[in-house]
Amino acid sequence: MSDSTYLLEVKNLCRHFTSGRGKNKLVVKAVDNVSFGVKPAETFGLVGESGCGKTTLGRTIIRLYDPTSGQVFFNGREISGKMTGELRRYLTENIAMIFQDPIESLNPRMTVEEIIGEGLKVRGVKDKAEIRRRVVEMLKKVGLNEEHATRYPHEFSGGQRQRIGIARALIVQPKMIIADEPVSALDVSIQAQVINLLNDLKEEFGLTILFIAHNLSVVKYFSDRIGVMYYGRLVEVARGEDLYAKPLHPYTRALLSAIPEPNPLTARNKKRLDYDPERDHDYSREKPEMVEIEPEHFVYCSPSEAARYREICRSAVKAGD
Amino acid sequence: MIVDRNNLPEDIRDLPESCFEIVGSEDISDEPFKTEAIGFFKDAIYRLRKNKLSVIAFWLITAVIISAIIVPHLTGYSPTAQNLAYRNLPPKIPGLEKLGIADGTRILTNRPKASLSEFPEGSIIQIVREYKASNVDMVDVKVDYYKFVGVPEGEYHWMGTDYLGRDLCTRLFLGARISLLIAFFAVVANIIIGVVYGACAGYYGGRVDMILTHFAEILDGLPYLVVTILFMLLFGSGMFSIVLALTVTGWIGTARLVRAQFYRFKGREYVLAARTLGVRDRALIFRHILPNAIGPVITRAMISIPGAIFSESFLAYIGLGIKPPNPSIGVLLSDGQRVLLQYPYQTVFPAVLISVLMVSFNLFANGLRDALDPTQRGEI
Repeated sequence: MSDSTYLLEVKNLCRHFTSGRGKNKLVVKAVDNVSFGVKPAETFGLVGESGCGKTTLGRTIIRLYDPTSGQVFFNGREISGKMTGELRRYLTENIAMIFQDPIESLNPRMTVEEIIGEGLKVRGVKDKAEIRRRVVEMLKKVGLNEEHATRYPHEFSGGQRQRIGIARALIVQPKMIIADEPVSALDVSIQAQVINLLNDLKEEFGLTILFIAHNLSVVKYFSDRIGVMYYGRLVEVARGEDLYAKPLHPYTRALLSAIPEPNPLTARNKKRLDYDPERDHDYSREKPEMVEIEPEHFVYCSPSEAARYREICRSAVKAGD
Repeated sequence: MIVDRNNLPEDIRDLPESCFEIVGSEDISDEPFKTEAIGFFKDAIYRLRKNKLSVIAFWLITAVIISAIIVPHLTGYSPTAQNLAYRNLPPKIPGLEKLGIADGTRILTNRPKASLSEFPEGSIIQIVREYKASNVDMVDVKVDYYKFVGVPEGEYHWMGTDYLGRDLCTRLFLGARISLLIAFFAVVANIIIGVVYGACAGYYGGRVDMILTHFAEILDGLPYLVVTILFMLLFGSGMFSIVLALTVTGWIGTARLVRAQFYRFKGREYVLAARTLGVRDRALIFRHILPNAIGPVITRAMISIPGAIFSESFLAYIGLGIKPPNPSIGVLLSDGQRVLLQYPYQTVFPAVLISVLMVSFNLFANGLRDALDPTQRGEI
C-alpha cells in the first residue's frame, strides 16, 4: 500500500489531544491529516511556527504518541498499527531521534558512556569492552574523546551535549533519524558546528533525516526538500530551492518574509507579509487538498487557487528565461 | 549553493564562490577535562559534609547506634534479670560520684529519728531536716542508697535500676536497639512498597493510576489504632505486629510522593529518548526515572525513622508495645512515668535518648534534603 520510492511515508496522519469530558471536551488537532514522504538518503526539513505540531508529528512517527488516525509506512511496512514488542524492536532498530534540549535530553544521573551505550545494551550487546569500544569510536566521530566517556552530562557545554545526543542516536546505526530542532537551543556558532557534523555523518552513514526546525536559514542550508506546517496541517511541500524561489502558499510567503536579513541596506526596504487564513482563503465553496502544482511541489489549496498558483509558476519560468 | 547573493551588500556580491568558506566546518575535537569526574551522589555527600549540623547529627546517630549494639554487653547486667532487693536504685557513675552528681544517694523523707540506728553502717550521709510530727521526732535523711540496700562495693548502675531491680542502662540501650530495629524495618518496608506502588501509579498513569490511588485512599481511611489492635490480637504483641502496624498505612505517603515525582519526570526528554531507543518499562522506571526522583524519598525515609520510633513509643505507652520483659524506649518511658515524681531519672534517661534521636534524625534529614536538591547544586 505504500510507494516504494519513499523510505518513510506518512498518509493522512492525525494526532488529536483531548481534554475534559462532555460539554467541556476540548480537542486540539496537533497534527491534522498530514501526508508526505521522505526518500532514502534525503533530508526532509519540516518548518513552521512554534506550536504548529512539528514536534508532535515527529513523536507520532516514532510512536512516542499513538496516532489518532492515518498510517505511517517505513520501508513499506506499516508502523502506525497496534504496538507489539516486535514492532517496537523494528522501530527502534530503524529510526532514532535527536532531541531539542541538550540539557533535558541527557539523564543527569548517568555517565556519557552509559547514555550512549544504552542503545547497544538494549539490543543485547553484553560485552562491556565491546560497548566501551563502540562508544569511544562514536565519541570520536562527534568530536569528543575517550576521556569524556566517564563524565556526567552537567560537565559539558550545550554543543557538546547535543553531540552526545547525536552519538546516542547514531550508535544503533538507524536508517533514519528524526532530528527534533537539534540546534534551536544552541548559540549560532555552535549551531553551525552541529549542523556541519550532522551533514558529515549523514554522508558517512547514508542517513535519511527528518529535520524539524523553525529556523528557516538552517533548514534551507540543510534540507533537500522542505515541508511547511501551519496549525497541524502541511500547507506546502517542495524542493528547497523551489520553495525559496517561488513560495506559493500565502503562509509560506509570510514565513519567508520574516527571515531577518543580515544586510541593513536590503533589510530596510523589505516588506513583511502577514498571513490570515480567514482573509487569504475562501474555502466556503471549494474544499482544499494537497495539489501538485509543479513536479515535486505540493500546495494545500482549492482548485481555483491551484489554477492561480500554476499561473504564477508559469510566469516565473518565463521571467527566468 | 552556499551563498545567497541577494542578501549580500553590493560590493561583495560578485565575488566568486571560492572566496566563501563555511565557518565551523573544520573538524571538531574537544580537549579532555582536567578536573575529576564527580557523580551526583559524590557531589551530594560533598555538600552534606559542608553542613556542620548534619555532620554532628550524623555522628550522634552513629554513636547511638554503636552504643545500642555494644553497651548492653558491656554493663555486665542482664536486661531482664530481676532483683527486688535492688529496686529503684539511683544512678551511680564511677568518677562522677566524687563530684556529687550520680553518686547513688537519695533523700529519704519522713523517717522516725529512732529508726536511724537500724540503718546499715555508713549509709547515712547527712540529716537534711529535723522536725516533730504527732510528738514523734522525724527526719529527712540523705543516705548512700547503695549501702542502704546492701549493694556490694564497686557495683555501679550508671542509670540506676527500675522497679524490678533491672539495670536501666542495659535496658535503655537494648530498648534503643529494638526501637531502632523496629523503625528500620518499618521504614524499609514502607519505602519498598511505596516506591513500587507509587512508581506503577505514576509511570502508567490513566486508569491504573486511578485504581491504585483510590485503593490507597481507602486504606488510608482505616483507623490506625484499630488496625494495630487487630494485628496485636492476630499475631500477638511483638516486633512483627508493630512493624506490620506501622507499615499498613505508613507506605501511602511514600507512594504519593513517588507518584508525584514520576509524573514530574516521566515526560522528560531523556526518558523519551530512552523510549525511542527501545528501553523497557522496568529499566525506564528503575534506571532513568527513579534515580532522579529518589532525593525526596531518601529525605522522607530519614524523617520517618524518628516518626516510627515515636509511634512505637506511643503504642508502648498505651500498653500496646512489645512483649515484656523486652524493653523498648517506649516501654521504658511508660514504666518511668508511673514513678516520675519519686524516681524522675527513670523517665529522664529514655526521654533524653529519644529526643537526641529525633533531633539528630531531623537535622540529618534536612541536610540530606539540601544535599540532594538539584537546584542547590554547586552552591555553598
